[in-house]
Amino acid sequence: MFAALHIPDFPMVAALRGRPEVWRRPCAVLAIPAGTVRQVPPGLLAVNPAARVAGLAAGWPLNRALVRCPDLLVLGRDPVAEAALRAELLQIGDALTPDVEITTEDCLLLDLSMCSQAFVEALETVALNGIELSHAQSITPDLAHLAVHHAATRGRLVEPADLAALPLEVLGWLAGGEAAGRGARLPANAAAGVGAGRAQGGGGAELELLAGWGLRTLGDFMQLPRQALAERLGPAPGRWHDVLHGKVCRLLRLHRPPESFCQAYDFEEPAVALEALEFALKRLLHTLAARLAARQLAADRLDLQLVLESGAVISRQLRLPEPQSSVAGMLPPLQAWLDSLRLDAAVSRVELDAGSTFAIAAQREWFGRSLPQPERWAETLAKLEALLGPGRVGIPVPPVSFKPDGFTLRPAVGATGAVPNAGFQPEAALPLHRYRPPCAVAVASELRAGRPWPLALLSGPHPGRIVDWRGPFPVSGAWWEPAAAWQRLEWDIQLDSRQLLRLVYQTPDCWHLEGVYP
Amino acid sequence: MRPDVGVAGVAGLAVTVASFPLGAVAEVVAAGAGAGVLLVVAGLLGEADEVDEVSAHPQVVLVDGADRFDPASFSGTACSRLLWVRCQSAGDMLKAADWLVRDGNVPTILLDATGLARRDLTALPASGWWRLKQGAASSGCRLVVLAPFPLVVSASLRLVLSAGLTLGDFDCGRDELRQRLRPVAHQLRHAT
Repeated sequence: MFAALHIPDFPMVAALRGRPEVWRRPCAVLAIPAGTVRQVPPGLLAVNPAARVAGLAAGWPLNRALVRCPDLLVLGRDPVAEAALRAELLQIGDALTPDVEITTEDCLLLDLSMCSQAFVEALETVALNGIELSHAQSITPDLAHLAVHHAATRGRLVEPADLAALPLEVLGWLAGGEAAGRGARLPANAAAGVGAGRAQGGGGAELELLAGWGLRTLGDFMQLPRQALAERLGPAPGRWHDVLHGKVCRLLRLHRPPESFCQAYDFEEPAVALEALEFALKRLLHTLAARLAARQLAADRLDLQLVLESGAVISRQLRLPEPQSSVAGMLPPLQAWLDSLRLDAAVSRVELDAGSTFAIAAQREWFGRSLPQPERWAETLAKLEALLGPGRVGIPVPPVSFKPDGFTLRPAVGATGAVPNAGFQPEAALPLHRYRPPCAVAVASELRAGRPWPLALLSGPHPGRIVDWRGPFPVSGAWWEPAAAWQRLEWDIQLDSRQLLRLVYQTPDCWHLEGVYP
Repeated sequence: MRPDVGVAGVAGLAVTVASFPLGAVAEVVAAGAGAGVLLVVAGLLGEADEVDEVSAHPQVVLVDGADRFDPASFSGTACSRLLWVRCQSAGDMLKAADWLVRDGNVPTILLDATGLARRDLTALPASGWWRLKQGAASSGCRLVVLAPFPLVVSASLRLVLSAGLTLGDFDCGRDELRQRLRPVAHQLRHAT
């Protein structure tokens, strides 16, 4: 026995959930997300009952709908509200049976074969905070899925013969379900009609052909000879024929929630010493290691959270260079971080979570270099960060603009994917040693062609007469943003002491040394 | 065990990773202005290499004593091979280098002390350099120290650079400048 749970008008229900004041107004949800721009007039994805009373239906073009109903309130899809509603629907399904398939974003299929009669009867009473929730039961999942989408078959146990009176367009949901099985993402459309069936993205051509043959109901379709149907129209209509006669009972694509390794330890007496903290951490790590080993997994990320007695929360995420499943591999980086902490209050609670991945069991790469001791590398990086502070250790990425010192740092561990700005090539042949911050200097200068021209450095680390120069190189950026715009003149200069420097002038009369070419 | 140092073979050649011995400390001293000491960094990062080693991990660690490394002076590929450790004092630099040398996961560690004041560098205890030498010998990595004057008492190899570069050399290619570095190796005497 299978059951289908379905929220009619799913996008509309989600969009209006937080706006009860407009429920009674004619409302429609557009088929494009809010904020996006399209050249062609969009269509209506879903309408509410008030809009249906006004004569509108899903699939109508927006301009036509506004002519019919000028008071129509047009809404965009609300992905956040839809995700929340979907999660609540899934929660209801999980409460009834562990075997749940998310067939479409507004419909679940439940396997009730292992459930008691009490759970089956509970279907009649399920509710979702005042939102209409329809259900149907049948001997196969696809029949239940079809039945829940039509008002005539909702709320009861459906046999194949009961579907004979339904319009042929209901088959569009079946075709759409197959498309979903192939990985397509379906729009939620609660209106069961030809437009809805075609909107599902599968079987549209076959349905048009069948309608052209004069078929109006599923019963007409079920009376066709199966073999001749498959020979003429291909395997898909033949499969629909089998489904409608209850000959196919496919396996559900079961939904399994992601497993969490989150653990917490509450101190009876708030911890003020590192030893107590490490003791609690070791206990959590031993449990984590056992759970990882039982699942043949390893941790590639550790999330540690300390809750202080004062209510403050300190969080830290550590990425491990290579997946670890042993306490000895996971503890040292955490210890290095704890060593560097100076807390204002005692620790009352420790929470530990881990990101899991498959342990490395393959042979090392032939051309790639692996870390000889990855667990020690994680500890060293943690110690370096504790010594130097955050953002002081990483893989440098050259700047993407001419903005001075506009580099970024990638994390030393966990930076995957293509190397950003890998094609960057330096302009100068000699590398620069850059002063951070730039060193302000007094410069003897004169005006040449309306520009200041340096003659000698009067102060700073390298005073002296300028004997040679390259430049000036005018550089500017962010001119389209008045607050962030910058403009400067750069020179490469050589002093009489043979020192090579980069000198920069910025208005008004600001000279500084940007760096030295050692 | 004393590492095998090819002192005679270094002089007059372009400075690359192979110029420095594994399991030992080498020192590159900039003799005067425009010595081109940062071209050694470009050589160690393998900027001129056409074939890139596929690796998800850094191949060179730069312990930057005065936080003066400029990523815009090196190619994007070279930067991707580098782990940059930005220190703010000579003491932090020595401590970070000690951890990295003893870690042994990265084969080449570059210690840039050229931006630090002479007073800070001479205040560093000599035992720290001997400790680095022992760490490099035990982990098998090469430690290259860029210094403004002869500094590392435990160095097995000391190269002195005096390219005397001028502004006219800015028009040359970086590879050409690296070929013109002409490092001079100093014979070092150690009791052990």
